[in-house]
Amino acid sequence: MQPMTRIAAATAATTALALLLSACGSGGGEQTSAKDKQTLTVWGMGEEGKHLAKLGKEFNKKHPNITVKVTPVGWDVVHQKLVSAVAAGELPDMAQMGSTMMGEFIELDALEPVDTKTFKKGDFFPAAWNGGVKDGEAYGVPWYVDTRALFYRTDLADKAGVKKAPATWEDQRDLAKAYKDKAGTKWGTYNQPANVGAWQTWLPFLYSAGGRLLDDSGKPALDSPESVEALEEYASYFDENLSRKSSPPDYDVVKDFGSGDAPMFISGPWIVNNIKDQQPQLKGKYATAPLPAGKSSTSWVGGASLVTFKDSEHKAAAEEFTEYLTGTKQQAHWYEMAKSLPANQAAWNEPELKNAPEQLDAFEKQLKTAKTVPPLAKWEELAAKIDEGVARVSQKGESPKKTAAWMQKAAEGLVG
Amino acid sequence: MATTTPSRRGVPDRAHAVRSGAGAGGAAGRGRRPGPRKDRLSVQNLPGWMFSTPFLALFLTFMAVPIVATFVMSFTDFGLRNVADPFATEFVGVENYARLFDDERFLTSLFNTFYFVVLGVPLTVGAGLFAAVLLNRGVGRLRTFFRVGFYAPVVTSIVAVAVVWRFVLDPADGLISGLASEVGLRSPDFLGSKALAMPSLIVMAVWRNLGTAMVLFLAGLQGIPAEVREAARLDGAGVWQEFRRITVPLLRPTMLYVSVMTTIGFLNVFEEPFVMTEGGPDNATMTVSLDMYEQGFKFFHMGYASAMAYVLFTVILAVTLLQLRLLKDKTR
Repeated sequence: MQPMTRIAAATAATTALALLLSACGSGGGEQTSAKDKQTLTVWGMGEEGKHLAKLGKEFNKKHPNITVKVTPVGWDVVHQKLVSAVAAGELPDMAQMGSTMMGEFIELDALEPVDTKTFKKGDFFPAAWNGGVKDGEAYGVPWYVDTRALFYRTDLADKAGVKKAPATWEDQRDLAKAYKDKAGTKWGTYNQPANVGAWQTWLPFLYSAGGRLLDDSGKPALDSPESVEALEEYASYFDENLSRKSSPPDYDVVKDFGSGDAPMFISGPWIVNNIKDQQPQLKGKYATAPLPAGKSSTSWVGGASLVTFKDSEHKAAAEEFTEYLTGTKQQAHWYEMAKSLPANQAAWNEPELKNAPEQLDAFEKQLKTAKTVPPLAKWEELAAKIDEGVARVSQKGESPKKTAAWMQKAAEGLVG
Repeated sequence: MATTTPSRRGVPDRAHAVRSGAGAGGAAGRGRRPGPRKDRLSVQNLPGWMFSTPFLALFLTFMAVPIVATFVMSFTDFGLRNVADPFATEFVGVENYARLFDDERFLTSLFNTFYFVVLGVPLTVGAGLFAAVLLNRGVGRLRTFFRVGFYAPVVTSIVAVAVVWRFVLDPADGLISGLASEVGLRSPDFLGSKALAMPSLIVMAVWRNLGTAMVLFLAGLQGIPAEVREAARLDGAGVWQEFRRITVPLLRPTMLYVSVMTTIGFLNVFEEPFVMTEGGPDNATMTVSLDMYEQGFKFFHMGYASAMAYVLFTVILAVTLLQLRLLKDKTR
């Protein structure tokens, strides 16, 4: 148990590598033509990484000269691994990159700009495309999008005497109370109370209150009245004991959804698959709905883009593979494989999506109005501050107003 | 650069202090030898050099170089930007250190770390001693079973430990909550409450670490000659008197070692909050090591994290020296 020495060692190793390899890292080297025999190295993340390997094989059948080698990387370590790889000059040719990480890697000057003759902005959901644009230059081709919507147990809602999907914040709170009081559930909902990623549940509240992360001049807007309102709304669930005040770092809401302990929560489309796998008995007993509205029903768009790294020697092949993955047919196929929603708008008219389970309709609706997270170099840090702000109100310690002011102050050093 | 290579043995004593310190938790205060001796690189010494080269190479690469590099880095603004362009790194003097004492989160971390140590170390040492004394004298045939039982947490993976403890502490359907509801009480939210999160982690850490203390105390206890005890008993000493007058004084060197090592380990506390709470709720369990890890590897403020490492190192050095002084004086 000597984390200090371990951390010190890793720190120094990173620097040493950076110093050693920076000399030979940049430049890009010779480019290989798309027709030559070559191996294209790609990093995929989490579940998608596994599916990506299959798509690589399918691609290889059509392009026998290009072997796609996919390395799956866990979401929890991907940030660290990518940054270390930048430092060591050991990046793959291509990677799937989470939307919120784009800003940072643009800042690191690691990404090759997208050839806008091949990839057209208009083919994709605007929010997804804009998440990878900095100073008018696009750095990633949107691959899939995800947005957050409401999951709720219809069987328990019936028991509590609620027939309709909640449409407003008030409805949502009433439903949470009804779940607890009339259907006897342990909690009324699950709002992530703290820990890494709590911002993901809170951000839809901010956007639906009419708030923003940044104002028009690019300064943080976390102390706006809308932000305070969003925090108040969020905090009320904890104040009234409708949501658990803590959850372990690897908490799986699907389990408590299945048992009825947490009969309502906000999350992304992949949950539909998880419920099918882990809680098959829930079939027909739950539904999804667009987010209950504050001023509006506005969610945020996450997802991932495909990026090519500047140092790659296989840019032409990478472009072919990206084209293959983001094409309309492929995107519909991708949806079938991974239940990830296509970023390519035309793919939504393909039969695979037309026949998708009704639980996904809410997400499609939500996507039309969803807002992006601006590409920020220090997003990870800002996100951690928001997580902390959420923890402050959920733990009852601080007033939403004070917390909003604190978040604003914390964000000021990180943005702009 | 402070190393313990034989070639530098001739340097004056002052350097030794630095040396044993820079070993970060290595044996302190040893290696005082009279005057220079003939230990230059001669044919006679060749085998010795050959045998120690692998160790020295590893030590230099993975300990000495990082230790020095971290120190240098703590005076720079090395961050994410410099990962791509290391030559743009700028020296900022003591700015990182100055910033630390203005950083609310770091001060909280520091406070939490001390809280952890002040409560955790005496409990670990006390419980370890208690278990050792118990196992040394009684419990008959089950002795081995208990020894293994107490030691098992030490060698168990932290991930498995976390799963078990989360089950124990879970306010909804955990062990404690279940027992509490049997008698009509409601279990508090141990990890979710600002007041209880740290004490819960301390209990867990004591449970995890008392095995190490116990084994060391057992060894110490078995080193106490039976004649001494016998003599005491013949003189009419009771159990308590025997413990106070014989066991405790003769165990003092072990006590010193266990306390110092436990304190160093606890000042470095990282795993418990990392797996159980991620520093939450609201930084109530954020410790210096965890804060350092996040600054370094989540936000890539390498310079800032390095400064934290050195502040923590200084704290550990100071606390250790203080302990050595306080506990050693009493043995005389």
